[in-house]
Amino acid sequence: MDEVSFLPTFPLFAANMMLVGAVLLCGLAAGHVFARYLRLPRITGFVAAGLVLGPGMLNLLDRSTLAELSIFVDFSLGLILFELGRRLDLRWLMRDGWLLASGVAESLLSFVFVYWTLRFFDVAPMYAATAAAIAVATSPAVLLMIVHDQRAKGPLTERMLTLTGLNNVIAFLVVTLLFGFVHLEYKANWVRALLHPLYLIAGSAALGYLAFVVARWLARWFGKREDIQFIMLLGLIVATVGLAISYKFSVLLALLAFGVFAKNLDRNHDLMAVEFGPGGQLFLVVLFVITGAGLQLSELAVAGGLGLAFVLARLAGKLAGLAMFAPLSGLTQRKSALLGVGMVPMSAIAVVMVQGASQLYPEFGAKLSSIVLSAVVILELVGPLATQWALRLAGEIDPAAQERP
Amino acid sequence: MTLEFSRSEPLTMGIELELMILSTHDWDLMRGAGDLLALIDKNPHPGDIKPEITESMIEISTAVHGDYREMLVELSAMRDAVIKSAQRLNLAIAGGGAHPFQHWSEQRIFPKERFYHLHEMYGYLAKQFTVFGQHIHIGVPSGDDAIYLAHMMSRYIPHFIALSASSPFSQGMDTDFDSSRLNNINAFPLSGTMPFVRDWDEFNAYFDTMRTLQVVETMKDFYWDIRPKPEFGTIEIRVCDTPLTVEKAAVLGAYAQALARHLMLDRPREPSQDVYRVYSFNRFTACRYGMQAGFIDAYARSRRLLKEDIAETLDILAPHALALGSGAALAEIGASLDSGQNDSGWLRDMFKQTKSLSDVVRLQSRLWAGEQRSQPDR
Repeated sequence: MDEVSFLPTFPLFAANMMLVGAVLLCGLAAGHVFARYLRLPRITGFVAAGLVLGPGMLNLLDRSTLAELSIFVDFSLGLILFELGRRLDLRWLMRDGWLLASGVAESLLSFVFVYWTLRFFDVAPMYAATAAAIAVATSPAVLLMIVHDQRAKGPLTERMLTLTGLNNVIAFLVVTLLFGFVHLEYKANWVRALLHPLYLIAGSAALGYLAFVVARWLARWFGKREDIQFIMLLGLIVATVGLAISYKFSVLLALLAFGVFAKNLDRNHDLMAVEFGPGGQLFLVVLFVITGAGLQLSELAVAGGLGLAFVLARLAGKLAGLAMFAPLSGLTQRKSALLGVGMVPMSAIAVVMVQGASQLYPEFGAKLSSIVLSAVVILELVGPLATQWALRLAGEIDPAAQERP
Repeated sequence: MTLEFSRSEPLTMGIELELMILSTHDWDLMRGAGDLLALIDKNPHPGDIKPEITESMIEISTAVHGDYREMLVELSAMRDAVIKSAQRLNLAIAGGGAHPFQHWSEQRIFPKERFYHLHEMYGYLAKQFTVFGQHIHIGVPSGDDAIYLAHMMSRYIPHFIALSASSPFSQGMDTDFDSSRLNNINAFPLSGTMPFVRDWDEFNAYFDTMRTLQVVETMKDFYWDIRPKPEFGTIEIRVCDTPLTVEKAAVLGAYAQALARHLMLDRPREPSQDVYRVYSFNRFTACRYGMQAGFIDAYARSRRLLKEDIAETLDILAPHALALGSGAALAEIGASLDSGQNDSGWLRDMFKQTKSLSDVVRLQSRLWAGEQRSQPDR
């Protein structure tokens, strides 16, 4: 049959690329349906598309395919965390102690409330603590996507992003430190328990710093051209994600550190504030569809009660922490409450942190994911709505974004 | 119904400045007026701080001052109060007549009846009105004096434009103008100049006609370059761009005050329609070329450089400045004539050095805060 060797053989060679395109288009279509006809956030549509296509329902995106697409997840999260890091203005936190206090209180109380709740449900302390630490982090992907999609702008939006930056830093550090205890729980020796978190934190931070130094150097050389700096940063983000994976650092921590250094150490302002815009959106859409596909509604049936309790405890912690201190930093009670509601989303970052734990000890990861993922299912669907609603009530959404041509 | 002209202390001054509220992330305009005002009002501060038409502007207005240095002290205190609250919200504040790269379509009308009404009436012009001006009030003893002074001041409007110009960039572009801001104001149907009325009675008759015909409701509806403000007992000069520093704002106030003193006490000339015949041209060249503009002297019927006319005026004003205690302020104007540099020149220099408009805004906000001299931090 040499005569027709130019014909494709099955399975198709370009299957992966086709898949990415299909994922993207399905996500977009679902997002459009949600936004246009149901008046729900676009993101909820992306996640719903994933849920339907994923192993839980149609299984068009099966587990092995999802694993192949994980590089997209890593890159997208890297992009988001870099962007989030650039919103974490440490000088602001230093200047307004009450803002810092509200961020710390919000993180601390969501940890404590979730921990107590899980203990009440008889979850073992180690699992409860790790799950509670994961609960501290707000999803930056959801926040940035909604801020961009709705063209939200204003002091509440700024605070939401800054405090999300802060709670992500806290969550990553605490989860990583808890890894040490997980090692001890599994009878590893204390050297390992001590060195692993240290390696993760120091290594990731050093990699983030290195990326920043290279970025600054390149920015000086290229000059202030937004288009060029955009590609340069994208390139560095890809490279940093790759390095973090090969050195077994934390991708999340490394890229967040890169962003934080870029925001706070760039004293000469060589790096421009680039908008990742439509290019960045593309990765976000793929990320949300894949995250949706990783979820299973059956989780809800098994652990729905626990998930709901988890979600409510977390919300209570965020609201209480912000209500305590945010008014002192010049926010009205109403806006403090809206800030708390807006910071409800929990998403892919939580999933990735659970996966990180699974790589340590699969058994630990499996148990942890059964606790966390039921909450993620709920928040994946409700979270974007909460954020959009909070920003709209705060009057920071551009009404024109709703009916834009 | 006639407009009552309130009495005010002659030759006192008041200053209003419209300021930009900025994001410290990308240095674009930021909708933050509501939260900023709420926070500012929690602490005592001098003067009056109010919202303006879009949510990324606020306006500060001083009390009435006779002394230029007291004016500067109050302006500095108000600047510091606004900055202190802004920092807590991670916002920045800056002077300048126009934001260099904001997009007018992204601006949002401040939620207040009057502003919604303006938006309904003027459509997109209302959002394009996101430009930032300095208004100078000068106290006059009577309505007739207000009319006289407004007419006489018209000759000097190009001075104020060139000295204050700080809006060379607009919507992301160098406009080639030193003050692009005034072009936004020209679009309004009631902009321009006061009609050539001779006294307060004639003015009242004009105003009455306009109100009967429902062209205007109040004096606020006239967007004239100079207008009488009967409630305050002042005339209001409205052509200045908000300068990049409060020092410059006070200097411009002192210049208007000294000029008013000269015109009121010396009564050098009579109002002339000739001034209005060349008015638009003089105004345009001052906007376009700033300190390098030409100037047509309607009384002398000759052409000269605007710089020369300002220099000559400074000489005439010297004794008045001495009497008012504002010699230092007028000396600063003399120095800027020598350097040929206004705020627009500074902004263009910063762009040349940084090649980035968002860096320009950052530096301009540092200059406003008093942290920046004339060199960028490179």
